Amino acid sequence: MNQLRADRTLQCQKARLKRFHFFVLKVSFLFFLFLTVMPAARISAAGPEDVIINCNIHDGSCSQALADLEITLDITPRPVRAMQDLVFRVLLSGGEPQQAPFIDLGMPGMKMGPNRVILEKASRSFYEGKGVIVRCPSGSRTWRATVTVPGKGKVDFIFDVIN
Amino acid sequence: MLSTDALYLIFFTTGFSVGFGHCIGMCGPIAVSFSLNLKGKSILLSHGLYNTGRLLTYAILGGLMGAAGSFTAVSARIAGLQQGAMIAAGVLVMVMGLALNEWLPFVKYFRRKDPAGGIFSKGFHKLTAIRSPYAYFPIGLLLGLLPCGPVYTALVAAAGTGIEAPGTLYGFLSGAGLMAAFGLGTVPALILVARLAGIGWLTSRRLICRLGSILMILVGIIYVIKGVRY
Repeated sequence: MNQLRADRTLQCQKARLKRFHFFVLKVSFLFFLFLTVMPAARISAAGPEDVIINCNIHDGSCSQALADLEITLDITPRPVRAMQDLVFRVLLSGGEPQQAPFIDLGMPGMKMGPNRVILEKASRSFYEGKGVIVRCPSGSRTWRATVTVPGKGKVDFIFDVIN
Repeated sequence: MLSTDALYLIFFTTGFSVGFGHCIGMCGPIAVSFSLNLKGKSILLSHGLYNTGRLLTYAILGGLMGAAGSFTAVSARIAGLQQGAMIAAGVLVMVMGLALNEWLPFVKYFRRKDPAGGIFSKGFHKLTAIRSPYAYFPIGLLLGLLPCGPVYTALVAAAGTGIEAPGTLYGFLSGAGLMAAFGLGTVPALILVARLAGIGWLTSRRLICRLGSILMILVGIIYVIKGVRY
């Protein structure tokens, strides 16, 4: 009799444990679904609040200091729109690098893949290249142009474009 | 300048890393919706076919960019198609979400003898009951057109290979290859999400289906709004 009761208790415990495991699995699954599905909504709502825009490229060129250099970035035609052919110009004041600088375009806080603008020397200290700023369907308009001067370092120009 | 082979590798790895970040956020909800709609059946085959269709569209787009040697010229022509694809994706996911729990009043209506018996009702019925894995190939072809930042970036590079190509055919092939490499890189992330969202292993699916339906409807609405505003 006692053996039977012990068996039943054991079976009950096993069943409870099984139910508990399924409950944990279900909760984990729902959490996974939530994490996977919600970014579609979150991405559109997430603005780059913590990103400081340091350049109003629509009004004209922007400048920043890098070591002993002053780097000036200009993008035309203005206003700067996504999904159109753009000309990027970089002026280096205070020295001339060994190699031509280049620009990497990206979005702050969002991985967009490599989009490099190769610059060629147009005149002394003046470099020029063509590129495209793509449109992000999330609605984000803030872009970052990282100008790298080989041997010197890099600076970020953060600006809004028109989608 | 980098060789085309190096670009293939760069964009394959870019696709892989972007896949686990950006793509899971943007296209993951679609993959999850499909898995929920399949109710755990033929997930790998369905998603394999969906991704094959998506890759084929990417390759064709890359080929066109490479042949034209211009991103902006081609993208301007396909912008309307992309907007349509985004709205279609939203509607598809919404209908799947509603049909998952038979919340769609029209489903019951169409399941009865439809006096009209028209193409619309047949098409609608098929849309609400997409269970065949082979239906996911054309869906992949269509949803490969979805506008997406990293896809655009890869297309810019595909157009770049076309500029340097000695001829139009070579430009087409190099652009198509680059986009195929990029697309291939994104597949593992989406397959993983799809596999994890498969509910075949669950004994009780009612709660999952109900909550899944709500999420699918929400995602569908978001896609439609994004598509209209695009």
